[in-house]
Amino acid sequence: MAETAKKADALPAQEVVVQTGNEIAATAAKQINYHIMGYYPITPSTEIAETLDAMKAEGEHDVRMIPGDGEHGAAGICYGATTAGGRVFNATSANGLLFAFEQLPVQSGTRFPMVFNIVTRSVSGPLDIRGDHSDIMLAMNTGWIILMASDVQAVYDMNLIAPRIGEDMAVRLPVMVAFDGFFTSHQKRRVEIFSDPQVVRDFLGPFVPTVTSVDPRKPVTIGPYMNDPDLINNKKQQADAMVRADAVIKKVFAEYAKLSGREVPVVELYRMEDAEAALFILNSAAETAMEAVDSLRNQGKKVGLIRPNVIRPFPLKEIREALKKVKGLVVADRQDNYGAYGGAMTIEVKAALQGVKGNNTQVAGRIYGIGGKEFFVEDAEAMLSEALEIAHTGEVKVPYDYFGADPGEKGYVPPKAFDPITAEQATGLIRIETTPEGKIDVKGVNLRALTGRPKRVSSGHGACPGCGIFVNLNTFLKGIEGFVTVLFHTGCGMVVTTGYPYTSHKVTYIHNLFQNGAATLSGVVEMFEERKKRGEIPKEEKITFLMVTGDGGHDIGLGPSVGAAMRNSRMIIIEYDNQGYQNTGFQLSFTVPIGHATSTSNYGPHQKGKSTHHKDTAQIFSACNLPYLFTAAESNPRDMIRKAAKAQKYADEGMVFGKLISMCPLAWRTEERISVPIIQAAVDSCFFPLYEVEHGITTINYDPEEKGRKVPVTEWIKQMGKTKHMLKPDCKDVLDSFQAEVDRRWLRLKEMHKNPLL
Amino acid sequence: MTQSKTPGKLPVKNSLGFFEIRMESIGGLGANVAGKILTEAAILGMGLNGAGFASYGSEKKGTPVKAFVRVCEGGHKVRVNSPVEEPHVLAIFHEALANTVPVTAGAKPGKTTVILNTRKTCAQAREFLKLEGGRVGAVDAMEIAMATGSRVNMVMMGAIAKASGFFEWKALEDAIREAFGKKYPALMKGNLGALKRGYDEVKFEEFPADGKYPATPFHREVPRLGYENAPIGGTIYSAGNMRFKDLSTSRTGMIPLFILDNCTRCGECDITCPDYCFVWERGKDPKTGKDGMVLLGINYQYCKGCLRCTHICKFDALVPTKEAEQDMDKITVKHKFLK
Repeated sequence: MAETAKKADALPAQEVVVQTGNEIAATAAKQINYHIMGYYPITPSTEIAETLDAMKAEGEHDVRMIPGDGEHGAAGICYGATTAGGRVFNATSANGLLFAFEQLPVQSGTRFPMVFNIVTRSVSGPLDIRGDHSDIMLAMNTGWIILMASDVQAVYDMNLIAPRIGEDMAVRLPVMVAFDGFFTSHQKRRVEIFSDPQVVRDFLGPFVPTVTSVDPRKPVTIGPYMNDPDLINNKKQQADAMVRADAVIKKVFAEYAKLSGREVPVVELYRMEDAEAALFILNSAAETAMEAVDSLRNQGKKVGLIRPNVIRPFPLKEIREALKKVKGLVVADRQDNYGAYGGAMTIEVKAALQGVKGNNTQVAGRIYGIGGKEFFVEDAEAMLSEALEIAHTGEVKVPYDYFGADPGEKGYVPPKAFDPITAEQATGLIRIETTPEGKIDVKGVNLRALTGRPKRVSSGHGACPGCGIFVNLNTFLKGIEGFVTVLFHTGCGMVVTTGYPYTSHKVTYIHNLFQNGAATLSGVVEMFEERKKRGEIPKEEKITFLMVTGDGGHDIGLGPSVGAAMRNSRMIIIEYDNQGYQNTGFQLSFTVPIGHATSTSNYGPHQKGKSTHHKDTAQIFSACNLPYLFTAAESNPRDMIRKAAKAQKYADEGMVFGKLISMCPLAWRTEERISVPIIQAAVDSCFFPLYEVEHGITTINYDPEEKGRKVPVTEWIKQMGKTKHMLKPDCKDVLDSFQAEVDRRWLRLKEMHKNPLL
Repeated sequence: MTQSKTPGKLPVKNSLGFFEIRMESIGGLGANVAGKILTEAAILGMGLNGAGFASYGSEKKGTPVKAFVRVCEGGHKVRVNSPVEEPHVLAIFHEALANTVPVTAGAKPGKTTVILNTRKTCAQAREFLKLEGGRVGAVDAMEIAMATGSRVNMVMMGAIAKASGFFEWKALEDAIREAFGKKYPALMKGNLGALKRGYDEVKFEEFPADGKYPATPFHREVPRLGYENAPIGGTIYSAGNMRFKDLSTSRTGMIPLFILDNCTRCGECDITCPDYCFVWERGKDPKTGKDGMVLLGINYQYCKGCLRCTHICKFDALVPTKEAEQDMDKITVKHKFLK
């Protein structure tokens, strides 16, 4: 839908669209037509890849979308792709950036330009998905150029500008474009874009590689080991490039302004001409602060606002110039440098002013808006008033402080919700007996009696209606006697059970990072055992340690889980496989079967859902010498409970792994109330066979063939909206491939069942 | 789509130049999409400027969500990003929300039109919402949605457009077509039908600020645990305190009704309920007299109405029923969480 903007005839045509920051970033990437996007989903940047994938399914661009195993992997994909000589794009936020972090200095140090959109979000510890600048500010010293996009229009403009700057032969550095998570990424705004993508591509010109890893006629060594006489020179080259970037940025900004009719200053100066006091602030909050400047100006106060659009290289000259007549300055940082007595911008501005002879600007730093805390016009007015006070008194009473933190309600004690579950309450329902042949027999698996098992997770959690995770968790835990301590990977299970200050965990619960749950829990287990050894904890104390992860957590976290398996850590890992990164918006995970639709494997005229077969985590772990591993499903609850009891027993010996298939009505596009028939079909089609492996011996617990209940996979997929398209004629090859693979794995499993060596 | 010849003018604006709309809803009813459509209609179809966004967190289906729309005259910049606190139009998509969420916060008599998706009359809606005063709109969006084969959000959009007084029909239609028309062309007729009926059938009535109910100013959330009294590191000590939450607002009309006489106490419902609503106790079986676990009933504070249990129960002891036909206080059985 377009409204033709009335511009001078010399300028190329533009049209008006209404898009969010994420959507417009995808639009820009589409128009640029990057060769590759390596990516991994994380809120709030997920929609960039999702939008591009949906566009790809419709044939709107040629960007090759490559899902990483995690952000570190995605960044590696991008690095490799840039060495092979093409234009590359990535997008992430917060912990995604942190997970990719060690790739960043390599990208800049070995001089391979690319564009990385950072949708700013709070860095974990504790986890907060909303927007602040704690992530982007950590990237300040990675050697990347950093452009700040303060609103949705700027996201588009900066994304078009970024490749030109980075690819300039005087620069050859990678570029970040940072815009605020949720405030900019998720707000629909009016944006002007070029109607013809060719205009964009002409502006950028073709990508000119200086070196490529895919020209055998010009063999090169990329990324050698470099020792001390040489590294300093490499770094000086890099530093000089960053200094040269300053002029290149100005040049490209000016060219873009000519092309678009929109001025892009290196530093936005709002009503600064005669300002005696000012606020220095970035991105979306700066927009709000402009209203405050206007409001105070209407009262005759001489205030202004400084908002850099570039922070690396730091625009020293422009900022020194802007502050010449300013006597009082408040620098507002949407992150803190803990122990530096100021956030990143405060430190850099103060450093900039140190170089000014006769500097009259007194600076106070304020930490605001952390974790997405809303920033209001009144807040900016308060900061400007502080700046005015500094200007008038010549004194900075409080050089460093938090703005907007709440002390809490005096005397408030959160009410008690439960008495801790005692050992007696949680014991006595399940008994393990070992037969003379050495087989483990589980007694007490009676669903009615087991309603007496105290629930380790309380009612009140915020899962979607019909969520399979909590059915699986509850059913599994019915088989576990005694004390339990749980650890969750980031994911739906974690998010809906622990929104501060609430928790639905009645037992001790730990959440660390998205991917290192098994490592973390190993640490807990080892510490527990060592403390018992030292007499700090009674030796009789028994806790079952249980890690809960989604299939998503086992894409990004497979390494640490295999590591825990290699250490044979005495704990149980259960993976609820709901086939996708549901918490972040239903993106594909590697367990998603071929052909299935997700938000990053759309079905359309040019794409038929996921292009690769599903990962088999159970078989990966079966190669790890575990004492016990199993699969289970809610269609067979007694089988699951029995396996839980066995898992508890085997966890005394070493690591146990269990894989559970888990309903997600929202992503699978099914009715909430219908669950067992769908799961039963997944089991009966042998897509999700029920089996266990005890000390390497595989036993199929339920053989649908024997029972005359085996069905083709169509019986399962026809029940779900995410797979209905696979029944269409254009997907026949995909469906056949899926059925063949399911059959192949089932046949292999049957051989393993028959042969004790397999 | 052609641009509106005369860029639109707004009938009323706040001090920053905006006409503001706030939608109070739960995840799954389409309030977010409605906000986006209204925004697009205003910008692309009416020569106005604006912003559309939702409150975001870890919302899942059924959890409270707010959607916001800001509209200003073309050429006016949108520089604020914060939620709409004092809307000109406040649309409540899900009646039950009013029991647990301060949905009418910021509504001002003389400024705000409050629209409720309800079967109640405007006067009953006013009483139910305990509104200080002002213009109240009532529309049975659920019924119209079902009748037109559309969704609640389309009907509410029609009502919102009527209350706002400046949205143009063609702009809305084009924006709806842009949002769904390509992917679901068959639904266009139903959607436009729902939009029109919402517009035509919403009833308004004006109530003076007669002192019957107090004002409901908007309060920005202030956490009770802050930097002085929160345990360091964010650790939570009150294990399981999520049980204080009331999830009944996640329901959208249906509940499972427990018929004790048909229950065999097989325990399957306890396996299938994701929200652990079933209240069991050790006691004497009502049929056999034997000692064992006995199902007392359902704690509807936590029931999200997924109806899994009604599908699982082989004995017709759990039957899908319309919530509106039940006295929830009477049929709910509370857990005994603390001794």
